[in-house]
Amino acid sequence: MLKYTFQRIIAFIPMLIAISLLSFIISINAPGDPVERLAKSSESEGGAQEQSGASKKIKAELRKKLGLDLPIFYVSISDLSTSDTLYKVQDKYHKSNLSALTHHSGNWQAVSNYYKNLLSFQRIHERINPKILKDQYTFLDLNEINEVVNQLGSEIGSLLETSDKNLIDLKFEKMNTLVSNNNYLSFLKDPLYELETNKNNLRINSTRWKTYIPTLHWYGKNNQYHLWLFGNGNDRKGLLRGDFGISYIDSQPIQDKIWQKVGISFALSLISIFLAYLISIPIGIYSAYRKDSKFDTGISLVLFILYSMPSFFVGTLLLLQFANPDNLAWFPVSGIQDPTLFDPEWSFWKKIEHRMPFLILPIITYTYGSFAFLSRIMRVGMVDVVSQDYIRTARAKGLGEKKVILKHALRNSLLPVITVFAAIFPMAIGGSIIIEVIFSIPGMGVEIYNSILNYDYPMIITVFTLSGFLTMVGYLVSDILYAVVDPRISYK
Amino acid sequence: MQDQKQNFSFSKYAWNQFKKNKIALVCLYLLFFLIFVAVFAPYIANERPLYAEYKGNKLYPAFADETRKDSIFNSNGSLDEILQYDITDWRILKYEKVIWPLIPYSPGTMDRYNRDYVSPKGKQRFKDSNGEIIDAPKKFRHILGTDGIGRDLAAGLIHGTRISLMVGIVAMGIASIIGIILGAFAGFFGDTKLKMPRIKYWLTLFGIFMGIFYGFGQRKYILAEGFGESVYSGVIQILISLIIVTTVVIIFRFCSKFIKFGSLQKETNIPVDNFVSRGIELLNSIPRLLLIITITAVVERSIWIVMIIIGLTSWTGIARFTRAEFLRIRSLEFVQASESLGFSSARTILKHALPNALAPVFVSIAFGIASAILIESGLSFLGIGVPDDIVTWGSLLNLGRQNLEAWWLIIYPGMAIFMTITIYNMIAEASRDALDPKLKS
Repeated sequence: MLKYTFQRIIAFIPMLIAISLLSFIISINAPGDPVERLAKSSESEGGAQEQSGASKKIKAELRKKLGLDLPIFYVSISDLSTSDTLYKVQDKYHKSNLSALTHHSGNWQAVSNYYKNLLSFQRIHERINPKILKDQYTFLDLNEINEVVNQLGSEIGSLLETSDKNLIDLKFEKMNTLVSNNNYLSFLKDPLYELETNKNNLRINSTRWKTYIPTLHWYGKNNQYHLWLFGNGNDRKGLLRGDFGISYIDSQPIQDKIWQKVGISFALSLISIFLAYLISIPIGIYSAYRKDSKFDTGISLVLFILYSMPSFFVGTLLLLQFANPDNLAWFPVSGIQDPTLFDPEWSFWKKIEHRMPFLILPIITYTYGSFAFLSRIMRVGMVDVVSQDYIRTARAKGLGEKKVILKHALRNSLLPVITVFAAIFPMAIGGSIIIEVIFSIPGMGVEIYNSILNYDYPMIITVFTLSGFLTMVGYLVSDILYAVVDPRISYK
Repeated sequence: MQDQKQNFSFSKYAWNQFKKNKIALVCLYLLFFLIFVAVFAPYIANERPLYAEYKGNKLYPAFADETRKDSIFNSNGSLDEILQYDITDWRILKYEKVIWPLIPYSPGTMDRYNRDYVSPKGKQRFKDSNGEIIDAPKKFRHILGTDGIGRDLAAGLIHGTRISLMVGIVAMGIASIIGIILGAFAGFFGDTKLKMPRIKYWLTLFGIFMGIFYGFGQRKYILAEGFGESVYSGVIQILISLIIVTTVVIIFRFCSKFIKFGSLQKETNIPVDNFVSRGIELLNSIPRLLLIITITAVVERSIWIVMIIIGLTSWTGIARFTRAEFLRIRSLEFVQASESLGFSSARTILKHALPNALAPVFVSIAFGIASAILIESGLSFLGIGVPDDIVTWGSLLNLGRQNLEAWWLIIYPGMAIFMTITIYNMIAEASRDALDPKLKS
């Protein structure tokens, strides 16, 4: 038994690695720049100081803290043209643009020169002060100068994120006309010419053949995946030590947010699974006991139809019928407590009493989802057991039908139902998104829903990883339970 | 006796068994009805008439392109007006003769005289051809009511049929291709049956790596461009990529013939079954809805992508059934006969084993369609993944949830989802009983 458990745990590890890889892949493919999102949520009142030195410094620190200046994984597979230092580029969009440029040109050196030149050109442009230009060229309109300079700036900015050949040419053409049409920008002519040479070099010195040769880079432990999983020993503890990152919405640590919400979801799923067992096991037993009777065929059909009824439809129907002033307003529509009445000082029972009416409809919906399914499993399992030889033997030796069913058959038919028990763990963390959203229960489900609507990727990824992990724990537990309950099952 | 035996075919037998289940038979006819509605949705619910005679012109507006413009001339031959098909209010024109579709509204038509949740039985307003607001005539009543911005529910339901059917076909199409291929390999070869020289095995693995490198790694910008253009061209690009991958793998396998060293030519087992089973276990260990939601949160919102994701995540059931079936079949006489005759594995699998394994797999596909539709409607109920401007049953039901007074927005879409899922489940269950009496529960 111990050996079996141990073996199962060993087999469990590669699966965990696979899940962590899967969620890591999803998380690095999430759109948007995490630093921008976090900076936005943390500064909040800071307002318009977008490109100022202070916010740039904050962003650089964040980038370092998130490990975005590290390579993504232990190894990377790319082609000969790609540089192994590309990951050091700070901006996410620049980075992807650079790799596209390298792919088209095949010459990393040329791309790097072009990029550096573009950046220095941008710095030159940033130093332009329209007011000083206005002092030099007094006959010009300040607004006009401003507009030209801004246009130039936006062209440079978009060049940093453009890899399409024709678009690049178009933008250079525009910049050339801007510079040559406006005398006061003549000092930009030389740098622009230099930039254009560099741009042309991309094509002249193109070494596309390099892109067809795959290469492998080994980066070692200093990478984003390793940091995400194991932390770095200082400010980041890593996933394995319970550090799930920071929410984009309010910069709170994810683990704190989850702890606040997980209780209610866990309680709901526990109660509902318990109720579902309580109803479905007797139904299953009885209809298997009276197999092919009117009761059995009738209940089978009803269960089958109930099984096809989506729980979100059931939930909405319940709301429509029982929480609606037009029909019957027996229950409140949403939430789990009345904020005007609720007092956190109340005793446990008082709280439950207060919350009861809020929770009845959700629990019915919750239970409903698993009840039809469980009853069907239970019935099939029971029918299967009743046709076994040892039941015939029990009957043959003259045992009462009641005793045969309850003592000999029941215990064996419970086996398949155990599997369902495994679903409890992930249900607690994932909540039932749909049901919690319908009844506005402030649990994990609503939390996930909100994080999806707000693109809060760290939260989504965490829930994903945790529920994968917990499902596997559930499988492990139910496998071991199997072995405990059924002595016939011997695991080697 | 001889004749009878020759006429006996398994499909006939199964069909006879299936027919005995009257409820399932009704469900099958209902499914045909749903398919009919889905195919002809634009001609059942459309804001433009099927046929109209307008100022002496014969028009077929419902069949025409949306961007079409017609110049209408009056009897003198001079230009009277220009009918722009997409912005004309077809209901207020004065026709000489007109044939309307069954529901004279499109799913997106916003009837501004019947905004704010007009109930099916309540008072409905209508602007007639004289520009006066009157009680809606019977033809133009919203028979199932409207939503908050005046869209007709019946039209939404009819066009929603299309989406739910598409979800079933596309998602389960993808899932069955993956599931049947992987399941067949795993079941047929098991862990010990697929043997090849070590060098060939290594070169195949290397070939797969190189194939993915050239087919997908090097073409990622082309692929992205393709999908940026349209889903169709993206799919074409993916197909090209797959062809490249296959070609590269074949080339590498071919090369392995020329490398001859003693130890490299030794035969090794390839644990296909182990690979596939671990993959299934992994995918099963992640809650499916959560996986789909997580992926949809990362990719852009599109109904097609939702279908593809559902397909990519729900092949495990089909693979398991196919695998079990192949495990059973591979020890049967006819497969062994085909092998001992020296037929290739490919021929044995495709011509002999697969046709005999498909029946139970079909059942699992039918159940899969039901759950794919359930997932899609759940997602659009939450407003995740499916764009807001696409009217689906789930999104209609969501509108009802937000306004409980509009009971028609809850009952009708909910019933549509429920009925469709029941139909598929019924058919699946009945065909399971018909195809394999042993499995009957």
